[in-house]
Amino acid sequence: MAEDREILREIWEGRLPVCFTLATEEVSTPIAPDPFYLMVPRLTYFPLVTDKVRRHFVRCVVPEKHDNEMWLEFERHPLKWHYPIGLLYDLFVSNSELPWQITVHFDKYPDNKILKCPSKDVVESHLMHSLKEADALKHKNHIMALMQERDHKQLWLGLLHDRFDQFWSANRKLMEHSAEDGFRYIPFRLYVPQLTPKPFVQYLIKPVENEKKLVVEDLLQRANLNFESKGPFQVVIHGIDIPLETPLQWISEHLSYPDNFLHLCIRYSQT
Amino acid sequence: MDNNPVNEALPDAASVEDNEQNVEMPSHTDESLPALPNSAPATPKADNKTPKITVVLCPVGGAPIMRQRKWEVDSTQTIGFIASFIRKKLTLQKSDSLFFYVNQSFAPSLDQTVQNLFDCFGSDGKLILAYCRTQAWG
Repeated sequence: MAEDREILREIWEGRLPVCFTLATEEVSTPIAPDPFYLMVPRLTYFPLVTDKVRRHFVRCVVPEKHDNEMWLEFERHPLKWHYPIGLLYDLFVSNSELPWQITVHFDKYPDNKILKCPSKDVVESHLMHSLKEADALKHKNHIMALMQERDHKQLWLGLLHDRFDQFWSANRKLMEHSAEDGFRYIPFRLYVPQLTPKPFVQYLIKPVENEKKLVVEDLLQRANLNFESKGPFQVVIHGIDIPLETPLQWISEHLSYPDNFLHLCIRYSQT
Repeated sequence: MDNNPVNEALPDAASVEDNEQNVEMPSHTDESLPALPNSAPATPKADNKTPKITVVLCPVGGAPIMRQRKWEVDSTQTIGFIASFIRKKLTLQKSDSLFFYVNQSFAPSLDQTVQNLFDCFGSDGKLILAYCRTQAWG
């Protein structure tokens, strides 16, 4: 794994330029505020990087709304704060346009579509439970359960403060596995909004079966979805088009998000 | 850990468990959240009915019990839907907290579907969900 540290670092440093604009109907000042530009890490969550965005726009909405929870929208999709930013981009932005144009709202929180996020503690709890779920799949939750509180904090603070070494000092323990068999199961979520009404699909798949290393194509085959029915497609994570012959164990160790899940998006070419 | 997920000791719960039929959970509650996207399902179902999954709801940490523990739930429903269902059944206030746990370890996200959890963590043809009013497993 050590020789692939460069890859982990590259993935960690993935950034997206975002242009935030306040929803025009919520502007209460005579002159609309300037857009707010930010380079955001793909691996993090919006509530961890948008304090400045909130401060920039909140003074331009009516005072009654100042304490409201801010939410974000892209092309009429309210953005789920509990999805990593890179996943939201891969999921919704089909034309790869940059900077990513996001609309900021303080009014009419769509709480039938997205969860509430009253504080960063909620994000920490979400990350921890996702890590536990991933670890339940990989190691029957043994590693997260045996880890000390300090290690859990390293994972959280590493992500919160964008510190690669701090995060990986604890995360490498979660990536341990037996040499031949790999993880018990690969924690992944597959996003195929074109083919299923579910937000994502998730099922059990082992990295190795009958001494054969399973690859991304094997994972897709077990989804019971007719991917070809909508034309040629790509499997995308971190903006990368993943070759279908990539071994699942390798991709899980190197391309998982900090929550230890592989968030794989199916993208169809524009016609 | 003193959180025994199954209240077998309670005669009430045990007798319900013994002779209960699986009961279908209504498909909608007023506050089901979050809504699923409106896109059409990929594979047309033969009988046009959403498959059901048996969900067993187990109170832990002193959570109030429900007479009915086994429910047949649409596989596309979310944990958020089950949460609002339990809230109604137990007449919890909006301010009352409610937590769910799978495998006695992690809390699934409210927009996670019953199908996904069943596929990954189901056993003996059912999905066991522990619920409680205070955090049980960190």
